[in-house]
Parts: sequence; structure tokens; C-alpha cells
Amino acid sequence: MLDWSVVPAAFLTAAVEWVEAFTIVLAVSLSIGWRAAGGAAVAALAVLALMTIAAGGVLGLGLEVRWLQLAIGVFLLLFGVRWLAKAVARGAGLKALHDEAETFAETQAELSRGDFAAGWLIAFKGVLLEGLEVWLIVAAFGLHGRAWISSGAGALAALVVVLAAGLVVRAPLTRVPENAIKFVVGVMITAFGTYWTYESAAGERAWPLGDLSLLALAAFFALGGLGLMALIRRPRPAGAAT
Amino acid sequence: MKAFLKTLFGDAGTVTVVALVMMVEVVLTASGQAGLGVVLIPVAVLAGVAWLAIR
Repeated sequence: MLDWSVVPAAFLTAAVEWVEAFTIVLAVSLSIGWRAAGGAAVAALAVLALMTIAAGGVLGLGLEVRWLQLAIGVFLLLFGVRWLAKAVARGAGLKALHDEAETFAETQAELSRGDFAAGWLIAFKGVLLEGLEVWLIVAAFGLHGRAWISSGAGALAALVVVLAAGLVVRAPLTRVPENAIKFVVGVMITAFGTYWTYESAAGERAWPLGDLSLLALAAFFALGGLGLMALIRRPRPAGAAT
Repeated sequence: MKAFLKTLFGDAGTVTVVALVMMVEVVLTASGQAGLGVVLIPVAVLAGVAWLAIR
């Protein structure tokens, strides 16, 4: 049975990262061909699968949940505050919006020498690093209520959707509202990270409302993030990416 | 390796924010004021986000 509080969160988070990975693989494929670029992507996904198996083994050792919550909570906070701050800065016009077309052009420029090994490595590294973020967040959402299957299903569904959309369009997926998704996901993972790190420190005294505190935290960070955006907003230069 | 570490931990500013938040958590817990954390911790996290966004 899928946990529907986890599937959408894992789906959205993974979708943002898969879009970035797809952009890199697409740019590389124009230089070294679809087969080689796809091979690099599959090799990176295989490394991520091995990491998942290894992590499953570690979790099977029976570590105390408190330590797992602390470790994963710290990583969620590291990702969450980073994503939320970026989304706020972009929303407020302090930073350019992420532009997949620009990433695509930069990757192509990097490959202009036509070096096969360099192209393969760029695709491999791109998928591995973006996938690593997916992996950590899937593990984190999975830890909440032991919803591993739901968390993994959300990420896999996102991979399938992004791949299908990418193969149909055969161009960088520039119409994905990446900043809005990043803001929502940043809010969610910051809420989870805050909840878990403090619970691992203070135990049951930390959050008297239990799981309901997660909703309150998410609402606080969402409203706080929107408030910050309004507070520091600067006019966006004409012609900036949307 | 550098890109791998940056993906995992972010930059020095991100690490500093998270370290400070955790320090607040430990101090509140150790001083027997864990109840205050319900308010103080989210505010500390949001302050960190604000600093990261504007720096």
C-alpha cells in the first residue's frame, strides 16, 4: 500500500533533479551519441542502485532510529535551507532563475572539443550527482513511517515521466516551473529536517503535537519564505528567464 | 570529489547555518528548555534561510 503523503513529495523532488540530469545527458548525446550518453547515465544509475543496496544493508544492522533520524535530518536541513534560500533569492529577483536552455548551451560548449571520454564523464557525473540528491531525499522520506516503497515509487515515477517527456520533446525541458517546485520541496524537506534533528536531540519533548508539528513547520516555512521574498524583492531585469 | 562533497553538504554558508541551528538545539535541550525549541528552532532556521538568500 502506497503512502500518499510521501509519493508526491518524492515525485516532485526527484522530478526537479531528473530534469537537470536529462538536460546534461541530452547535451552530451549531441556530441558523443545517444548510445554512449545513455550508457553513461545507466552506469551512474547502477552506482546509485549499489549505494541503495549498501544503505539498505546498513539500515538492516538495527541502528537506533534516533541516530538515523539525526543523520538523515542533518542532510535534509543541508538540502532544505539551500533549496529554500535559492528559491527565495530567485523569486525575489536577487538571482537569475535556473535556465535549462542555458545549462544545455554551457554543457555543449564544454563538449565543443569533441572529446569522447570527457563527454561520457560529464554525463556520468551529471546523472550521479543529481541522482545522489534524489537518493538522499528518497531515503529521508522513506525513513518517515518506513515508507521506502512509496518514496522509491515517487522517484521512479518522476524518472519515467521526465524521460518520456524528454524523449517526446527531444529538447531541454524548459517549461518545468522549476523554481516553484524547488520552493515547495525546499519547504517540505526543511520541515522534515527541522523536525528530525530536534527530535533526535530532545526526544519526545521536542514536538508536543507529534506528526502534526510537521504540517505546522511546513506552513511556517512556506509563509516565511513567501514573506522573505516580498521583503527582499528587487525588480527583475527585462528579458530574464521565467 | 569536490563536486561530490558540494552536492552532499553545500557551501560553507549552508554548513554554518545548519551547525548553528544544531547548536541551538543542543543548548536548549541541555539547559532543560526544550519546550522553547518549538518556537526558537523554526525561527532560527528561517533566519538562516534569509541570510543564505541575501548574502
